[in-house]
Amino acid sequence: MNALKIIVKLAWRNLWRNHRRTIVMLSAISIGAWAMIFMTSLVRGMVNEMLRDGIRALPGHVQVHHPDYRDDPSIENLMNTTREELAASLLAAGIERFSARVRVPAVISSERESRGVILLGVDPKREAAIAAIGSRVTEGRPLTDVGDGGVIIGRRLAEKLETEVGKRIVLMSQDPDNEIADRGFRVVGLYEANLEIQEEAFAFAGRMTIQQMLGIGDFVSEVAVVGDDYRVVDPLLASVRLSIDGDDEVLPWTELDEYLGTMMMVMDGFVIIWVVIIFFALSFGLVNTLVMAVFERVREIGLMLALGMRPSSILGQIIVESFFLLAIGLVVGNLLACLSIIVLSEGIDISIVAEGMEMFGSASVLYPEMEMQDVILANVVVLVLGFLASLSPAWRASRYEPVEAITKV
Amino acid sequence: MKQKASFVFLLIMFTGATAIAQDAERNATGIVRDALNHWRGLSSHGVMTMTIHRLDWKRTMSMESWSEGEKLSLVQVTEPRKDRGNATLINNNRMWTFSPKINRVIKVPSSMMNQSWMGSDFSNKDISRTDDMVEQYDHTLLSTSEMDEHVVFEIESIPHEDAAVVWGREVLKIREDNVMIEQHFYDQDDVLVKSLKTLDIREIGGRSVAARQRMSKAEMPDEWTEISIDSIEFDVELGDNVFTLSNLRNPRN
Repeated sequence: MNALKIIVKLAWRNLWRNHRRTIVMLSAISIGAWAMIFMTSLVRGMVNEMLRDGIRALPGHVQVHHPDYRDDPSIENLMNTTREELAASLLAAGIERFSARVRVPAVISSERESRGVILLGVDPKREAAIAAIGSRVTEGRPLTDVGDGGVIIGRRLAEKLETEVGKRIVLMSQDPDNEIADRGFRVVGLYEANLEIQEEAFAFAGRMTIQQMLGIGDFVSEVAVVGDDYRVVDPLLASVRLSIDGDDEVLPWTELDEYLGTMMMVMDGFVIIWVVIIFFALSFGLVNTLVMAVFERVREIGLMLALGMRPSSILGQIIVESFFLLAIGLVVGNLLACLSIIVLSEGIDISIVAEGMEMFGSASVLYPEMEMQDVILANVVVLVLGFLASLSPAWRASRYEPVEAITKV
Repeated sequence: MKQKASFVFLLIMFTGATAIAQDAERNATGIVRDALNHWRGLSSHGVMTMTIHRLDWKRTMSMESWSEGEKLSLVQVTEPRKDRGNATLINNNRMWTFSPKINRVIKVPSSMMNQSWMGSDFSNKDISRTDDMVEQYDHTLLSTSEMDEHVVFEIESIPHEDAAVVWGREVLKIREDNVMIEQHFYDQDDVLVKSLKTLDIREIGGRSVAARQRMSKAEMPDEWTEISIDSIEFDVELGDNVFTLSNLRNPRN
């Protein structure tokens, strides 16, 4: 016990014998730890935003479709059961947060322009629980009920069409017999989305209005179900599968949008690789510092050995020394990272490169997101690998022959 | 007593006024319907020329057309040579096109209805749909005037709330012999967007026919499309095979 105390004391004092070297090493470790945590939280923030946006655009964690709908999202591939039956069986299974919608390609036209959009006939009350694209109505009013005769379009689309709230537009699609189904709608609201392409892609109207326009009775093309956590969808998936009978296809978002699903897995792997790479850069400095500290003190170590200090104590002393270095560096690094994340919690405006970022579905404001698991991972990696790195110089120091060490010039 | 009398008078005035208003509205709708029915039940076979005019180029196409009533029509390009054989068939608001270059008949889907027909200022929708005009609008008679010994009705047509029409209103000028002289399309801010004008009316086979019509955009006066009828025969015998997909592909007339 006493020996340990002495070892710790010696290690601590050795640490401050050469201030400059220790401080250089400490700052290297701090900056490394800061980079690991801060950069990880930036990338996390970006990817999480992307995932949430992607799920919102889908939307939902689990979706039900006609088996052919995903290959051909047309009016012909409506679901096999009516909306009423679907809703009844989902509610019976205790699933509350779902929305049944008609989703067909359509052409929207104003006096001057016409464009292709995805027309969604939605139930505004149910849709509110999902909080998908289109829920952020910034001008005009949101849809009120399933029979609403108005339409909500994105701000960008309104600009492209040269139309505005209060004006009429025409939506044209096809009915199940391949005949043209069209109708005039008044634009009642404009929504804003994080990505400009989303503002151009979707038009929302009351579900019943669209069903009447297309002449499809009470059938819908998709049911979106939302659970509590997008990372844990399997239980929800299972219960939706149970309650939907017939041929309709039930899929989780990871399969609906494989890009997003893969993205999530890549992200988790990426964090580890990132942390390890930074650590390797760090470890050269760490090992070098310790080796230098050992070389500098060869005679001193020889003396301690000659005085009867056991090699294991020498080993311990070097390891404790490196542990102190790592611990202080980590504390400073973690504090730095927390500080910079708090400072930047308002979000980082990267709109200068927004167009490039949108190409892979990321928004123009970046919010760093610190996740406990990433912080723990970074710290544990630094400590464990740091310990391993310091083993070699420590081992070497403890194996010196006392006589040789003392007489070494 | 005197008060009561004046009340009755007012009542008569009022009901009389609404009756007149209703009559005017029905008249306006009637005039539009008659103008659109001008072709109903009538078959035709003619040759026409379409000129597409742009700021720096101009192009002319000759076409042969067949029609029966207002629901069936077939148009085939004859000149210039490289476009020969391009054809459009319209049957009850449905539209097919044939292009010999790709040797395919294509049913024009809803998504292409707003696109231009053969590169002109007419959209596929302009060409294929005619009967919406009566049902999807409220018509009011604005004025009646005289022009070249004919009475001309000026009618304002406002589309219904759910009509598949983007215009804020349309103003039509129709002659009493059912020839549509002008059709102006206004946007919802009441700015004129485009106009269809009849530039030449001729008597052919005892009928007044709009022999030359021009569609032009208000914002770009140099861009217009003109269709003129070179010759036309009415009440011709057309076989059953004229308005068919196989005839669209391989004309046998």
